[in-house]
Order: sequence, then C-alpha cells, then structure tokens
Amino acid sequence: MPISTALSSSAPSDTAPAPAIHAVDLVKKYGDFTAVDGITFQVTRGESFGLLGPNGAGKSTTMRMIAAVASRTSGQMLVAGLDPEQQGPEVRARLGVIPQQDNLDEELTVRENIIMYGRYFGLPRRYLLAKADELLSFAQLEHKANSRVEDLSGGMKRRLTIARALVNEPEVLLLDEPTTGLDPQARHVLWDRLFRLKESGTTLVLTTHHMDEAEQLCDRLVVVDHGAIMAEGSPAGLIREHSTREVLELRFGMDRNTEQAKILEDLLTNTDAGSGDVGFSHVEVLPDRLLVYAEYAESAMEKIHAAGHKPITSLVRRSSLEDVFLRLTGRSLID
Amino acid sequence: MTRTRRWGAFYQAEATLRSMRAYGGVILFASTFQPIMYILAMGLGLGVLVGAETDFSEYGADTYLMYIAPAILASTVAMTAGIEFTFPVMEGFKWRRKYYGAQASALTPQQIALGHILGVSCRFGVHALIFTAVLFAFGALSSPTAVLMMLSAILGGLAIGLPIMAYISTLRDEKGHAAIIQRFVIMPLFLFSGTFYPLTNLPQFLQIIGWISPIWHANELGRVLAFGQPTPLWLVVVHIGYLVGVVVVAWLAVRRVFIRRLGYDEWRGRIPGLKADQRRQARQDSRESAAGSHQRSEGVPPVSFRHGVGANYYSGNIRAVFMRGLSAIRNNRGIIFISGFLEPVLFLTSFGLGVSPMISGIQAEQAGMAGQDTISYAAFIAPALLAVSAMNGAVFDSTWNVFFKLKITKLYQTMMQTSLGPVDVAVGEICLALFRGAIYALGFLGVLMVAGLVTPLSAALMWITALFIALGFACIGMAATSFMKRFQQMDWMMMVLIPMFLFSATLFPIDVYPVGVQWVIQALPLWHGVELMRDIAFWSFSGLTLVHISYFLVMVAVGGALAAYRMKALFLR
Ligand SMILES: Nc1ncnc2c1ncn2[C@@H]1O[C@H](COP(=O)(O)OP(=O)(O)OP(=O)(O)O)[C@@H](O)[C@H]1O
Ligand SMILES: [Mg+2]
Repeated sequence: MPISTALSSSAPSDTAPAPAIHAVDLVKKYGDFTAVDGITFQVTRGESFGLLGPNGAGKSTTMRMIAAVASRTSGQMLVAGLDPEQQGPEVRARLGVIPQQDNLDEELTVRENIIMYGRYFGLPRRYLLAKADELLSFAQLEHKANSRVEDLSGGMKRRLTIARALVNEPEVLLLDEPTTGLDPQARHVLWDRLFRLKESGTTLVLTTHHMDEAEQLCDRLVVVDHGAIMAEGSPAGLIREHSTREVLELRFGMDRNTEQAKILEDLLTNTDAGSGDVGFSHVEVLPDRLLVYAEYAESAMEKIHAAGHKPITSLVRRSSLEDVFLRLTGRSLID
Repeated sequence: MTRTRRWGAFYQAEATLRSMRAYGGVILFASTFQPIMYILAMGLGLGVLVGAETDFSEYGADTYLMYIAPAILASTVAMTAGIEFTFPVMEGFKWRRKYYGAQASALTPQQIALGHILGVSCRFGVHALIFTAVLFAFGALSSPTAVLMMLSAILGGLAIGLPIMAYISTLRDEKGHAAIIQRFVIMPLFLFSGTFYPLTNLPQFLQIIGWISPIWHANELGRVLAFGQPTPLWLVVVHIGYLVGVVVVAWLAVRRVFIRRLGYDEWRGRIPGLKADQRRQARQDSRESAAGSHQRSEGVPPVSFRHGVGANYYSGNIRAVFMRGLSAIRNNRGIIFISGFLEPVLFLTSFGLGVSPMISGIQAEQAGMAGQDTISYAAFIAPALLAVSAMNGAVFDSTWNVFFKLKITKLYQTMMQTSLGPVDVAVGEICLALFRGAIYALGFLGVLMVAGLVTPLSAALMWITALFIALGFACIGMAATSFMKRFQQMDWMMMVLIPMFLFSATLFPIDVYPVGVQWVIQALPLWHGVELMRDIAFWSFSGLTLVHISYFLVMVAVGGALAAYRMKALFLR
C-alpha cells in the first residue's frame, strides 16, 4: 500500500538510516499535460524496486526526477535523505543512472567514455584506469576498448551504458529499461550481475517491459498508468491479488473472438456451481486470442470442449505479471 | 506506379520544400534583408570609400553599388547552396535516413537526387526574385535585362552546390565535413571571386582561384546581363560553358553515388578518416598490451564535489568538462581545428589585396586616431577582423555547439547525470571556447606580425583582448541559448551576426554613415570590440578605450548573471 507518512516523521534520525528513496505526491507537468500525477512510494536500502507500466505511463519521468535531472512540479522527494533539487550533485554522486536511451559520448572511445564519466564524479585517474579495465570486462568489451562508440552495435552500446553507470560504485542504481536491445545471453549476464550488486547492498530501481525481468529482479513493484500508481506489492502477491492461479489461452480465429468470449463467459459462470470447481473469474479478449482466467484452467478447458466448442489452439499456463498488468491497465505490455 | 515514375522527382522536390517550410520565415526574412544589408553596408558604406577614387564606368556600371549588386546576388545564392547541399543531404542519408524512406515508396535514386536539387533550386529562385526586386527598388539596377541575372546566379549556385552534394553523399558519416567545406572550399571561392572588386585587382596567383570558382563566372555573367559590362563574346561563352559543364559533370556524379547508395548495391558510403582511426586504435591497443593491466587499488576513493554555498549549481569540477573537450578535439581530425584561423586570414588577404588598389588608404582621423597619416587598408581592417573572428567563434561555440550537445548528442544530459553541476558544465564549455579562440587568435596574430601589420607588443595585448571579447560574446550567447527551444531559432542568430559584422566599421570607417546610423552602430557590441582592437593595434588610447572595455565588462556581467540564473532552465529540462 502506498506510504503516506508525512516527510517530517521519516527525516533521517540517529538510529535508522534514511530510506534510499522517499517520494510523496510527486507531480510533473509538461505545460498542461500531467505526466506524473501524484505518485507516492518508498524504497528501503538494499531493496530492489520496480516500476511497471505501459508506454507513456510516466516511468521515465519519475526516474528522471529521482536522478535530479528533471525538476518536479510539486511533491516531495528525498534520496538518501537529501532533496535532489536542492543538493543535485550530492545526490547524483550516490546514483548510477542508466537512461532509457543510451547517451554515450560519441566523440570519445569506449574506454574514454568510462574514464571521462568517472572524471565527472571527480574520481582520480589512477583509480579509473583500473576500474575501466574491470568494467570493460564486465561489459565484455575489452576488444573494443579503443574503438569509437559509433562503431559499436546497439547491444554493445547498451552494455557500455550500464558499465559506465557503475563507475562510481553507486548506492542506488536507476535502470530505465536496462535490457532493451540485449540478446538473451547478455540479458542473463546482466541479471546475474544485478543480483550480485543487490547482494552487496546496492539498491536497485528499475523500469521494464519484460515481466520475467520484473519477477526475477524485483522484491517489490508498483504498476503505474497515466502517471498514477494502480497497485503495489511483491510479484507473487500482485498475481495472487489481481489474477487467478492459471490462465487458459484460446484461439478461435480473428473475427470470432468477441462473440466466443460472451458464450464462454456465460457457459463458465452458469455451470460453475454444478459440476467440479473451476474457480472462473473472467474472460479477456485480445486481438488474436481469448484469455480465460480460472483457478483450474484444465477443468475449464474440459468444460469448453464438452460444450462442443472447438478452439484452433489452446494452452494452459500459470498466471504471470503480464496478466496482472492486463487486468489493471487494460493494455497488453508487449507492443 | 507510372505516375510515380513520371512525377517522382517532383514528389521529392515537394518533400524538400516542405521541410524548408519549417523555417520558411527565416528564409523569406534572409532573402529580403540580406540584399538591404549588403546595399547599405557594402554598396553605400564601402562605396563611399571606393567611389571617391575609382570610376566604375569602364565596367559599364554607374556606381559601386551597381557594380557589386549582381555579384552579391550570385554570392548569396552560392552561400545558400553551401548549406542546402550539405546538411539536408547528410540528413537524408544518415541523421534521419529520409532518403531510405523515399526509396521505399517507389522513387528511383535519380528521382530522389533530382527532387532535392529541384527543391533547392526553387529556394534559389525565390531568393533571387526577392533579392532582384529589392535591388531594383534601391535603384541598384536599371536595365530590365538585369532580371536575367537571376538565371546566372541560380546556375552558379548549382555549379558550386552539385559537386559538394556529390561529395557529401559519398559519406557515411559527417565528422565536421560541412565545416571543412565551408572554410576550405566555399570561403576561398567566394572571397577570391571578384565580388567586391574586379578580379584583376588581385595578384596573378590568386586570380587562378577566381577562374576556378563558379562564383566568379556567375558574377561576371550577372554583370554582363545587369548592366552590360563590356566582355568579349568568347569570354561570355566560357562563363556559360564552364558553369553548364560543371553542373552536368557534377550531376552525373551525384546520380552515380545516389544509385550506388540507394540502389541494389546498398553501398553504405565512405567513412572518412577510417584508416587514421584504425591506426590510432592499433597504436593504443599495443601500448596497452605493453603496459599490462592496471593494478586495482583497494577501496573506492570518495566521489569528490564541493559543499557549501551554491553546491547545487557548482560542484567544483570544471576541469573534467574542459578535459573532455580536449579529448574530443584530439579524437577529431586536426584539420577541423586548424581550419578555424583560416577565415580571418582569407578575409584579410581578399579585402587587403583586392580593395587596396581602389583607395589610397584610410585617413588616420577616420580611424579614430590622432595625426595626419594614412593607414594602409590592410592595417585598417586587420585588428577589426580579429575582433570579428573572436565574436564568431565565441557565439558559435556558445549557441550552436551548446544547442547541438543539448539536443542531438545529449552530452549535457550525460554530464548532468553525474555529480557535475550546471555551472561546471557551462563554465567548462566557455573555457573550452576561449581555449580554441586563443589558438586561432594566436595563429592570426602570427600572420599579422609576419606581414608587419602589428608590433609584437600590440599583438600580445590584442591576444588577451580577443579572449576578453570572446568571453563577453560567449556569456551573452549562453544566456540566449537558454531561451532557445528549437533549431530553427538558432538560424536567427545568423540574422544578428551578419548585420553586426557588416555594420561594425570593420571594412570601412564609421564616418561614411550619417550620424543617426552611427549611433546605432555604436550601440552594438562588435563596434566596441573592433574599436578596442584598433586602439591597441595603432597604440592610440583615449577615454573611449575605457568605454569599450566597460561595455564588454557589462556584457560579461549581465550575460554571465543571466546565464547563471537560467542555468537550470538550460540543462535540467
Ligand atoms: N520533455 C517532455 N516534454 C513533454 N512531454 C513529455 C516530456 N517527456 C515526457 N513527456 C510525456 O510524459 C509522458 C510520460 O513519459 P515517460 O517517458 O515518463 O513515459 P514512460 O512510462 O517512460 O514510457 P515508455 O514505456 O514508453 O518509456 C508521455 O506522455 C510523454 O509524452
Ligand atoms: Mg520510459
């Protein structure tokens, strides 16, 4: 549930360290348009926190406000007990930022990108030379160390952006869709690395469109839509709360989906009381298929077959965050 | 399908024109005000100086203004060509890949190329029409045949633009090539094309540049058409033949490159400087493998930044921003950097040598000096050109460059992710601009000393003054940039700089103008820079010198304060 304690009560005290991020009623307006509309959340130290939401939900904008690169229209925010708008450099010194779009320095080589970035933090050159070697091997870019950035492939650039953000060994890592553009292997390497960072105490804040990523990495997440929080909880908790245990995916062919949905809904609701427990909840219509939400999808399928309906294909699977997302936002994540 | 086949080029021309419409206001403004500027500044200003001693009736013109009018039209068209055939072409291939989109809609590569050329020609046409109308209105043209000079100007624009287009379209990547072309090709071809004086005023070896330059041929053709400059028929044929020849050959080249890049080959284009890059990379690789890997020191040193007053804006790490700039310069091709000081040298050569034969010198009194001597024309303009070059460099660096890094390369976005504050970034960039300016000024002053136009003592003082002037303009430029939202607004910057240059008493003394106009000029910053430079160059100081210095002090203070105030608006959008 959203935390709505007043800022004063959570100001840094002698006993407990301030939470990594504390945001209350964040609002960001671009002219008349409200991109972020009153978001409240708290991230404790060492936690891994996710922001989920469809395109344009306001995730990146929120991240940019945390990173002190966008000003907020109203609301309060403390990062490690400091206000990013009042103490920008000091806050950013503790952050590692991976923006949605790579913003590497195209005029520098790969290695220079890391070293220069470290110099911006005022880190000494000696330290950076060694650190750059380490980060280059993390990003698997040793062989490209002296190439121009513009010669890298998209995935290599992404890896370099991520490696670069680690140069100051940040307390809080802000990752805006970190694995977009990475191949599956690179993605797993990154997950592994993020896991280890988390174990060593780094706080992670990430946005993603990959539900498996959110389930893997996030201890807790919020679903954001139209700049507001729709739900909050752990991945498993959210699935329990907003979806059934299982899902039945059916395809009847493009133009028959809507009428079939009605028929199935009637069928499953009416017969539920009678024979066997299906635990039916509802039917969701997607352009290419129907999703039947039920605790026991196998039994639901049997019923549908028994009633004489013949889907082209059918599939039973466990509910995932994808389904939570669909339920909450009415939109599919993969676009 | 057949419709597309026949009219394809026109579709592409329409696309080109539509993209121009975004800054249509700037284009129309430029076409109207450029001729007025030139008429007032060069025709009337320099005309007073030149007209008193040189008679242009042997060339068939009534006045100096009439003599230069057709040439200015041809030159401005050529300058426009230098822009329209570089950036938009690069944009088509690389930045926005527009041409690939057009290609997907059944246009042939030739049609895409031809379409762009037609679109740009339309712009030339509009420009020439307005320009000619203004010239008629000011009485700078009398014969109705002068209308025909529009054709020669457009032909000249194509003759200079198409070879550039052919070259640019072979490139996969733009690494300052537009700037190189501007400085090494268009500038010399313009300055040694006999626009402001007959080409024969120049020494023989410089006249050769004019013969090569399409601008000279277009100028001379325009003069024949506008006021019947006496020219043997064979020469007229040579002018026309040369221009048409260049256009045809260049078109064939453009066509070839477009077919190669957009046809089935899908040739991706040359990467200029690739070999040099690879060599440097190999050198670095081997140096590193020799040095072995670096020892990992224990523990992370603390990130360092300033605390205390204004720590939110200034974190005390200007040096990192400056060093980043140096690294970028080192990685770029040196020629771009070196070429920066070429422009004032070319101006000095062109005007010093070309205009001098038409006048006997500037009265010391006119130049604001005591005494009765005359000063050579070259010595008169040299210090002023230094001030102009300081202004141009500083303004370019603090506006266009800053905006480019803000919007296109997002460099500042990267920097603002770190513990740098906006002031670190701004001051670092200004330092870099001054550093660059310092090197350019050093080069130019070296040339002046070799030519015996300034003494070493003056040169040393002028060097510092150039930096001072640059600082003033950089502060104002930075403040102005913080109000900019779109690239088109940057174009207005040129609308300010060109008139400021023309009305700064750089090329002629201010007293050629009526008192009212003098006041306006004296209110502008460049005039103060120019006069300050002259005071030092001729070692003649007065109370006015202090006024000039104060003017720039105020500029630094006001511009700097405004820029600092707007810093967040500039970097944290
Ligand atoms: N600089 C800006 N000026 C105006 N509107 C903006 C700006 N940046 C973002 N927006 C708008 O704010 C809204 C939220 O954008 P944001 O980038 O935060 O979305 P997001 O959740 O990150 O989406 P995505 O999943 O596509 O990355 C969008 O409607 C976007 O158009
Ligand atoms: Mg985003």
